Amino acid sequence: MKKNKNIKVLLVDDEVAFVNTLAQRLRMRKLLVDTVYDGEQALSYIKQVEPDVIVLDLKMPGLHGIEVLREIKKIKREIQVIILTGHGTDKDEEEARKLGGFDFLRKPADIDLLLAKIKEAFSDKLARFMTAIAFAQEGDLDEATKIIKKEQ
Amino acid sequence: MPIRNEIQADIRKSYYMEYEELIASQLSFIGKVLSVFSHDINNHLAVLKESAGLIGDLIEFGKTSSRKDLKEILKITQSIKNQIEQTAYFCDKLNGFGHGMEKPLSAFNIHECIEELMVLLSRFINQKMICLEKDFTANMPLIYSNPLKIQFLMFCIIEKHLKRLDKNSRIIIKTVYANDSIGITIIPKGNLIETDEKLICNDEIYKHIINQLGVNISHKTSEETTIILPVSLSSSSNRR
Repeated sequence: MKKNKNIKVLLVDDEVAFVNTLAQRLRMRKLLVDTVYDGEQALSYIKQVEPDVIVLDLKMPGLHGIEVLREIKKIKREIQVIILTGHGTDKDEEEARKLGGFDFLRKPADIDLLLAKIKEAFSDKLARFMTAIAFAQEGDLDEATKIIKKEQ
Repeated sequence: MPIRNEIQADIRKSYYMEYEELIASQLSFIGKVLSVFSHDINNHLAVLKESAGLIGDLIEFGKTSSRKDLKEILKITQSIKNQIEQTAYFCDKLNGFGHGMEKPLSAFNIHECIEELMVLLSRFINQKMICLEKDFTANMPLIYSNPLKIQFLMFCIIEKHLKRLDKNSRIIIKTVYANDSIGITIIPKGNLIETDEKLICNDEIYKHIINQLGVNISHKTSEETTIILPVSLSSSSNRR
């Protein structure tokens, strides 16, 4: 479990009891977890702190999760976003993936599954960084930037 | 004669089209209530699942030996009880909503009918960051009418305000009882915005449901709407 300890996770959900309990459980698994309760708070948060993975609800007061995802990817494309929603439709899932969402889970999700997805998302981010560094060392900065920003 | 038949057929067709539109809108309203309800229940279940999981974690990770951790487990079990109570309250409101559809007419308390609507739509309204408040009068007699249609009519008015109100606005539902009639006033408070959101209830359906219910509508200002319901077959001894 020690290897989880460098992963910074932001949970975004308007269900305060749910998000606080989930945060506590993930912290017990040595993740660094912060919580916010709506999309606008999430966007201000990422302007100051860069989490590795964001676990994002879709239906929240104010900004819809899909809009939040779109904005996150505009501000910091390298942040991995996992959607965790009570009632996401297939259309929502398709849209989320199109916008660069890493995965799409439905509530109530198993903690082990969520943890596995968070680790997977973090590894993916790390692997892209390593590849980007390799390109940068060879002098190909354009390719390095493309990889970090997950561009085709 | 054939022309007369054609006109009659046209009238019948137009009547059925309006009727079908009304039924479709009412079904959309019921669908909205059910989808909001199932979303809420799913969230309640997710909280219960995480709370139970947290107790399991505390035991599994061997953190239950201290008095502090045992206190935490007691705190979690209390929050599970509270969550179950909230869920039961929510289910009770859906139960009332469902029973309201069983008969075309029944005797019921208008405050319970409004509260059902408020609770069942709370998530939908909160998502728009608008607050729904009640200002109910005391000593309201039972009313003999169709609760679903009253809820639908109120939904039509609330939905229109939801479309036009900016976030952080309020909608107040006020009731009065006077001259053997019940007045339900819906008062929006807040800034107005322009949206192109599609409504479940259009003007034709709104007029139709008013006719069906036999209620009067009055507008004190351009924004405030009052539904006036005559209290027929009410029991004055049965006031809540």
